[in-house]
Amino acid sequence: MKQSAPALHIRCRMVQPLALDISLQVRGFTVLLGVSGVGKSTLLKAIAGLLPAQVSPYGDLAVEQRPIAYLPQGYALFPHLRAWENVAFPLSRSAHRRTDALALLQRVGLEDLANRFPSELSGGQKQRVALARALARKPRLLLLDEPTSALDMATRDEVMDELVREIYEFGIPVLAVSHDPHLAMLADHMAILRDGRIVQEGAPTEVFARPGHVASARLLGFRNFLSGRVIDSEDESHLQVAGSDWQLQAEWQAGLSVGTSVQLALRAEDIYLQETGATHFCPNPLSVQVKACRKEGLSMRLYLEGPTPLEMLLPRPQAEAAQISVGNFLKVCVQPRHVQIMTAE
Amino acid sequence: MRSADYGPGFPVYRVTAGFDRFRWMGPALAGLVFVFLLAPFAALIFATDWHDFHFAEGDLGAIRTSLLYSMLALIISVLAGTPLAWWLARGQGRGKWFFDALLMLPLLTPPLALGILLSSFYGPYSPVGTLFSHAGLYLTNTAPAFILAQIYGAMPYYIIAARAAFEGVPRELEQISQTLGRNRLQTFWQVTLPLARIGLSAGVALAWVRAMGEFGIVLIVAYFPEGIPVKLWVNLQDIGLSAVYPLLWIFFLVAVPLPLWIGLRARRQTQALF
Repeated sequence: MKQSAPALHIRCRMVQPLALDISLQVRGFTVLLGVSGVGKSTLLKAIAGLLPAQVSPYGDLAVEQRPIAYLPQGYALFPHLRAWENVAFPLSRSAHRRTDALALLQRVGLEDLANRFPSELSGGQKQRVALARALARKPRLLLLDEPTSALDMATRDEVMDELVREIYEFGIPVLAVSHDPHLAMLADHMAILRDGRIVQEGAPTEVFARPGHVASARLLGFRNFLSGRVIDSEDESHLQVAGSDWQLQAEWQAGLSVGTSVQLALRAEDIYLQETGATHFCPNPLSVQVKACRKEGLSMRLYLEGPTPLEMLLPRPQAEAAQISVGNFLKVCVQPRHVQIMTAE
Repeated sequence: MRSADYGPGFPVYRVTAGFDRFRWMGPALAGLVFVFLLAPFAALIFATDWHDFHFAEGDLGAIRTSLLYSMLALIISVLAGTPLAWWLARGQGRGKWFFDALLMLPLLTPPLALGILLSSFYGPYSPVGTLFSHAGLYLTNTAPAFILAQIYGAMPYYIIAARAAFEGVPRELEQISQTLGRNRLQTFWQVTLPLARIGLSAGVALAWVRAMGEFGIVLIVAYFPEGIPVKLWVNLQDIGLSAVYPLLWIFFLVAVPLPLWIGLRARRQTQALF
């Protein structure tokens, strides 16, 4: 399925209300990540033709003629129409209008709720009705604005899995904008929007593994950022980077000579406790003191002080076994492959 | 429940007792206002001479005049007022605030004063009045003058209500309609109008009551043909209070049910929709 994912190249340039200059490949289910206010919704509205911008493709068509379906946050179902009437809205008035609408509702598994008004549907059901309505026009591109924002945590993953499956069934390219890295993990292709342009683009596995900028890394869930300089890159297997009071080993990367200023990013979940008396070798040991800790679902988030402030996420069994409390001194470790290097901005 | 149940320093008992002591005040005050507002209408029942209930001469003509012309004034107000209300709600012109403010003028002007202004503007000696009279349309003491006076009394209220109704329709739904292949006009018919219908109905009801009950403007511009309000005044002057009641009953029976019905329907639909 993913090899034959439908693709489309989108360009969008606008000045007002936001300066945007976007060139983006939409391949299968594509997620565009960006922080709030960066212009994600504005971009979708511009592509759909609801805001003035230079757009390709379909930029020369009026809104109602563009073969683009747009699902805003909250889904914007018409409250005065029943579920099937919402789906039938874009269909032309014909004898089989209702039958066609019901068939679409069936495809999203909601034919039983056809006669309900939107106020009688749950968040996930509304989203599927809106999807069926959007696809009723047989668009060539589907735009989703923050598709996870109106869903509750308990059903979010389930609803999104279902949505992604349905999207594949309909077989059209989809561009979803979100600030939610979990959604990007489900994507075929992803990009990061910052300062009005795409700063990174690629398969989620590549982008998550190698964020290009600190801002991108922050968006992808990295919590620890350190500024330092390359002090050793002699053999082509490892790099040594040092800050004022610390030194860390990272995987070798081309183009980084000794003296280059770099930013390091570490995920809170990639830092682990080094058990006392552990036999395996730790290439990057750090001695820290627990400044604060907070339960986070089934894990424990620790705020550490040491050569550099750090955040680490400890699984519950480990946290319970180690009996960690504020003021404890700990030895922690991070593997070189988990130390991401970005050139300083 | 005693304060001891919550431990020391938690005077639940006294707080609850304090509320209890004054709890009757809210409903009592509401009841008082209710009685104050409706008492005069109850008086109508007792004051009417039911044994000798009859219309004065010309009353039926006044009823016909009021009904027919109010309906025409209402239709014209709605047809002409709706596009303006839509523009005020959705338009993005630079001088919109200015028109917004100007629209308040006919609302804020006392009806009698507005009547005088109309008669100066459309009267037989004014340039506009002359122009109309050349076309055979006399705008003083004629049916068209009567309708014109009612339009001036009713349309501003309709426009204000309709504008609020249009503003209440989420713009996003109109945009979505466009992305679903509907042009602006189709969107207006299929999305904006149905979603604004509750507010629009309220505007229609308000305009209907204003048109039916318009006295000040009509008195100056179109004393004839006599509608219900002018005829009430004439009966009061010529015959006395007893001659007013039958016509007043008709006025209430005709003017009030439509707004009441629309109001109740609107409440039910609002509850069903949201």
